[in-house]
Parts: sequence; C-alpha cells; structure tokens
Amino acid sequence: MLHRRISQFLIIYFTGLAILLSIKYVLNLSDYVIPCPADIGTTFLQVFPMYSSDVMDTLSVAVISQVLSICLAFLVGIIGRRTTWFGSFVKVAAYNIQAYPIVALAPIIFILLGDGFLPRLLIATMICYFPLLLSVLGIMSQPITDIEHFYRVTGRMRWQLEVKIRAYENMNKLTTVIVGSATLAMAGAIVGEFIAADSGIGYSIRIALYQSDLSRILIALFMIGISISLYQGLLEWSGYLAKKKWTD
Amino acid sequence: MILEGRNIGLRYPNTDNCLFENLSFKITEPGFHALFGASGVGKTSLAKIITGDLKGFSGEIKTGDMDDLLYSYNLERLPGWSSVGNHLAKITSPSHQDLMDEIIDAFGLREHIRLRFSELSLGQQNRINLIRYLLQDFQLLIMDESLANVDELTRERIILKIKDLFPERLFLYISHNIIEVSRCCDEILVFRSLHNGTRTVSVKGQNHKTGQTVEKEDLELTMLEIMHAS
Repeated sequence: MLHRRISQFLIIYFTGLAILLSIKYVLNLSDYVIPCPADIGTTFLQVFPMYSSDVMDTLSVAVISQVLSICLAFLVGIIGRRTTWFGSFVKVAAYNIQAYPIVALAPIIFILLGDGFLPRLLIATMICYFPLLLSVLGIMSQPITDIEHFYRVTGRMRWQLEVKIRAYENMNKLTTVIVGSATLAMAGAIVGEFIAADSGIGYSIRIALYQSDLSRILIALFMIGISISLYQGLLEWSGYLAKKKWTD
Repeated sequence: MILEGRNIGLRYPNTDNCLFENLSFKITEPGFHALFGASGVGKTSLAKIITGDLKGFSGEIKTGDMDDLLYSYNLERLPGWSSVGNHLAKITSPSHQDLMDEIIDAFGLREHIRLRFSELSLGQQNRINLIRYLLQDFQLLIMDESLANVDELTRERIILKIKDLFPERLFLYISHNIIEVSRCCDEILVFRSLHNGTRTVSVKGQNHKTGQTVEKEDLELTMLEIMHAS
C-alpha cells in the first residue's frame, strides 16, 4: 500500500517536472522563469532541513484537524442517520453548507483570530469536515436491511449495534473516505498557512512565491506529496489492520 | 380462530392494479400452515401485513391474543464480526440454552457454529437464520422461503422437529415446493391471481408428523387440489 502510493506520487511528480523542463527547453525560457535541474538540486540541498520541519508542522496541523473532523463527522453522522426531523435537518444543513466554498470563509477567521496555530487548525478542519460528514451521513443512513431485520423485529436493535453493523459492512468505504479526507486536511492546513500563519510549508511557499523562486516551490510540492503519501499509506494500513482485527 | 384477515386490500404506490382486493382468510388452529402460490401474487406482502411490517393496506387483520409475530426470510444475514455460535449465544435467553443445543443438533449444524456466517453454504446460512428466530419468544413465525437451498430430506427433518418442539405455536411457511407443502402443512392458503386481484383458497394438507406416514394417494390428491386452486 505504502510502496504503491509513494511510487504513484513519484511517477506523477517527475512526469510533471519533465513536462515543465520540456516547456523550458522547447521555449528556451530562462532559469529565472523555470529553473534548470542543477538549480533545483542545489536548492533542494539548501532547504531540505527547513522544509522538512515545515512539512512536519503542517502535517501535524492536518492530522489534528482530520482527527477532529472524523470525530465530529461520526458524531453528527450517527445523530443525523435517523429518519427523524433532526436527522433530516442535519442532512439538509450538511448538503447546503457543503455547497458553499468553505475556503472563502478563511479571511473572516484570519480577521477574528489573527496568525497562528488556531486559525490554521480551524480552516483545515472546516475544509476537511463537510465532505467527510456527507460521506459518513450517507453510510450511516443506509440500512443494512438483511442484517438489521432480525434485531429490529425482535426488539434487540440498539443504536450502538446499528452503528456497528453499518460501520462493519462499510469498512472499506469508510477507510477510503478517511484516507481521502487526509488530502483535504492537508490542503486545508496549507490554505490556512497561505492566509493566516507564520510557520508551516504553506507559509514557506508563500515566501517563495513572493521571491518568484520556483525551485523552492517545486521542492515544497515534492515534500508535501511525499509526506501526504506516507500519511495516507499509514491510514490505509491502519484501516487494513482494523478490519483484520475485527474479522479474525 | 387465532389468525384472520378480512377484506384485505393493498395497492402499492404508483401502480394502477391492486395486489389484493377483499382478500379474506382464516386459520383456526396452531400448527404448521402454508402460503402457496406463484411468484408475485402477494405472499410476502400478506406476510408482512400480518406481522405489521407493511402498512397502507385496507381491511382488518385479527391476531387474537398473539402479540409476538415474527417474519423471517431466506436472504437475511448475520453480522460478520463473530462466529454464528457467538451470535446465537447472544440472542438466546438462559432459559432457552437447552433448546438452542437441541435445535442446533437437529438442524445438523453442530460442526459449523464456530464458523462465521460468510463461511457457511447458503443452506447452512438459512438454517442458522431460522434457528435464531426459533429461539425467540413468538406466537407466530412466518418462514418466507426459510429453508431454501436445503436438501429435501433435511428440510423434512427440520419441519418435523419444529412441529415436535413447538406444537402450540403458529407457523406460516412460504414455499414453492408443492410436494413439501402438501405433505407437511395443515392449512394451505393457495393464492390465485385473477384479473381483479388475488384471491385465496384454503386447502387441507396432509400435516405429516413424526412417526406418521402419508399415503401416496392422499398426497397426490392434495397436490391436485392445490393445482386446481392456484
């Protein structure tokens, strides 16, 4: 799993880089616009320690925001799975809020909270949470009739059992959704750092952008890609272990 | 009378035709009875109406003093996180432990209770599903194709065992096997599909019990009656 994710990322990254360098050489662009491979290598050696620390900083925000989003999405998903007025209200509200680009609210958070850890966390959580909520709501609202029927007609159904049945039957879907939400959490954290932070890889990209330093941006993208691939691989592996433990 | 339906009418939403109109039936004794008829005539719908799982019908269902009415069907599954033995143990009250052991042996599943549901054959899955219903407190159990994919000999053995163990309970067995229904069931409600809805005709079955034999001529007569009625 981990190996596959990293190799897929490397293929995509180096294909993109090759296309960029082809454009440079075909159009005879200067190193200032698109740096040559040697410049990229030199910059890599220079910024690697600093960017490693920045990526870890961003990843930690992404992980915390994802954990918060998962907990909140499961809580609301479990409450909202019922066909009561409250369940319907939660679903409609989630669909409507999902339709709104949450990232557009980020400046408001910046104005209210300023720079720092909390606005980054809040922006990342908001970006990660709503798509996750919709998936969890969809999964938890869908009855597994052929299993649940017996417990329902014999009066043995409890909400814990209902959630357990639905989670077990949709374990693969849930794992995929959680793995996918890691990308959203990372994207949210980086967006937060673009707008409202004084640390993290998003902040470093912003500085590189002001300096028009494409080498640094390319290296930042490389390190973001590697770290998110590792994290997603770890999540997939955890999902696999959880399922194995549940079924053995 | 322990179960009676009067003038039952049912039309599914967004359809022009009534599935039932003025359908009436009466079962006066406990025992093993059947709903028999071609696919789509409404056996399952009537079963769900009786147990209260299907609403929106007209007419009246009288269940007398029966409170616990259960509907089971052959596509049900048990959760996969534990063995079927563990699941059975969890849904069986302590007073039914001996009954559980007896039924597991009688149904030929002793060697399989350590397995998970997905590891069983279709016939074994259906038998396990039926066992968990038999271990509940019920007055009426509807068995909708509950012994599908089980071989004929085992099916007959199971039905005879159910009759021995629960002589005072009411069973409604839905099956397409005319020989089995004719041989094992007491009252057979044969569903007849007409242009203006389904009617039922009651045919007396051979109600085969442990230690009794069924004459071939009597069985054939019952089967002929059912074929004429359907």
